[in-house]
Amino acid sequence: MILPEPAWIIRLRHALTRMETVIVGIAFLLLLGLVFGQVLARNFLNTSIPGADILSRYLVLYVTFFGAALAIDYHKHIRLDVVAACISEKLRNTIRCPLYLISAAVCAVYAWAAWRFWYDDWQYVAEHERWSSILALITPFGFTLLALNFLLVALFIDSRNSSKQ
Amino acid sequence: MTLLLILLIVALTLLGLPLFVALASGSLLATFNAGLDPALLIVELNRLAASPYLASIPLFTLAGVVLAAGGAPERMIQLFNACVGWLPGGMAAVAIASCAFFTAFSGASGVTILALGGLMFPMLTHAGYNERFNLGLLTTSGSLGLLFAPSLAILLYGIVASVSIDQLFLAGIAPGLLLMLMLVIYSFLVGSITAVPRHRFSWRNLFIALREGIWDLLLPVGIIVGIFGGILTISEASACTAVYVLLLEGVIHREIHLGKNLFPLLRDAAVLVGCILVILSVAMGLTNLLIDAQVPMKILGWMELHVESELQFLILLNIFLLVVGCMMDIFSAIVVVVPLILPIAIRYGIDPVHLGIIFLANLEIGYSTPPVGINLFIASQRFGKPVLSLFRSTIPFLFLMLIWLVMVTYIPSISLWWQN
Repeated sequence: MILPEPAWIIRLRHALTRMETVIVGIAFLLLLGLVFGQVLARNFLNTSIPGADILSRYLVLYVTFFGAALAIDYHKHIRLDVVAACISEKLRNTIRCPLYLISAAVCAVYAWAAWRFWYDDWQYVAEHERWSSILALITPFGFTLLALNFLLVALFIDSRNSSKQ
Repeated sequence: MTLLLILLIVALTLLGLPLFVALASGSLLATFNAGLDPALLIVELNRLAASPYLASIPLFTLAGVVLAAGGAPERMIQLFNACVGWLPGGMAAVAIASCAFFTAFSGASGVTILALGGLMFPMLTHAGYNERFNLGLLTTSGSLGLLFAPSLAILLYGIVASVSIDQLFLAGIAPGLLLMLMLVIYSFLVGSITAVPRHRFSWRNLFIALREGIWDLLLPVGIIVGIFGGILTISEASACTAVYVLLLEGVIHREIHLGKNLFPLLRDAAVLVGCILVILSVAMGLTNLLIDAQVPMKILGWMELHVESELQFLILLNIFLLVVGCMMDIFSAIVVVVPLILPIAIRYGIDPVHLGIIFLANLEIGYSTPPVGINLFIASQRFGKPVLSLFRSTIPFLFLMLIWLVMVTYIPSISLWWQN
């Protein structure tokens, strides 16, 4: 059953969306700056930015996970809703909640696996590679964020929904 | 029990479960069945992140989003109109060229029909073309340009199939131009037969349009020269494109206020990137589990018993991919189907680069194929026409595209001319 949205959930959603938008914007700009900076450095200074390749890989993951989290909020995730297109609006709304709950559960399992993987990696990583291991936190954090977003859309009516879709 | 769970996942997917969740569920099911640790799936995700081409997807997507939000569609139409609008069927050629240019940057995500369709439909109607022709042309043109650099679909195929993206960009040029030429010839014929009135060629109009649109026109040229001239890698070309487009729309044409609009544009691009790459990241795990379980080999074993020649295989492949193109979004289709098809196609002697062009050509047609091609529904919504009338309108164009598909599939040299 979808519940009306209490005030603290509205605040939480606003804060999440704002955080996701800001981080995705910064990550995108950093990615653009870094790859473009590499072009300039390589062609005009005959050098390269140290660690740029690794950093840009992680920035792509930041853009991916925060973009995917925003896509839940905007109901933009790709679906093969062949059957859903043929059923009534009422029935579609009824099945939406269990579908999002399943999505939250699946993302939670991925998050659990990703946290374990990250922790194992962290224990054995060399001292000079710790920085990349910290950046790799995006994977477990990203799946946790996706699970949380799915849970919120599954359980509560989004009062901002109409303006977004 | 496993079969029941698979059927449940399929049923939920058809009911609207996000595709990446469906693939993730399948991956988890496969790991539990094989007695493996699900952390293995995270290893595959990290492997994907190591792809040298990956950064090009968000950056080319950003360029497409900025171009769509700026005035590029109008400038392109103005320029092509000044160049070829005076010919018989010229306005239709304008639509074909503008759509192809725009789709190469925006991806075939329906944006072309939404952004250009609304501009071109009244222009074509005003020029004297009949409504059925206009609807058919704009609906099928919604996926034109899919084979041109820096199309997102090509990038994704290259990453999934581990094929050189430079080679794919080269291979897409001739088939893409061939399809445009066929559609332009058809439009010229329609323009001549229906005696569509022509406007006069004007050097003044051409000069004005060129002054406005020259910077957009230089964009694909810059990308091709940069990559094939050995100056830039694919990722570097994508960064240069994004910076160029931001300067073009924000500083030269001032269509976008960078201070005010930049963050919303970054967010829109990130949503698109998130939707595609999150599918790719979970699908990699599932694909590898399927390969470990020798699923492609089992399909191959079955096919070797029933399919004797390369020709038979290609016919089956075309039919299968046309159905896939009708049912699935192009990005999901690439991620899900390519890893299963690729080893089989190689076994039948098909070049992976040629396979990529066949794959994308089929999906391009599938987009507009009744009854469920997504372009039909987007066009129906955009032009306010019933889907049934769009079915009828697209038939002559689909017929032409199928002829083109046969040529592209069975004459590999159209795609691989550069190999010799």
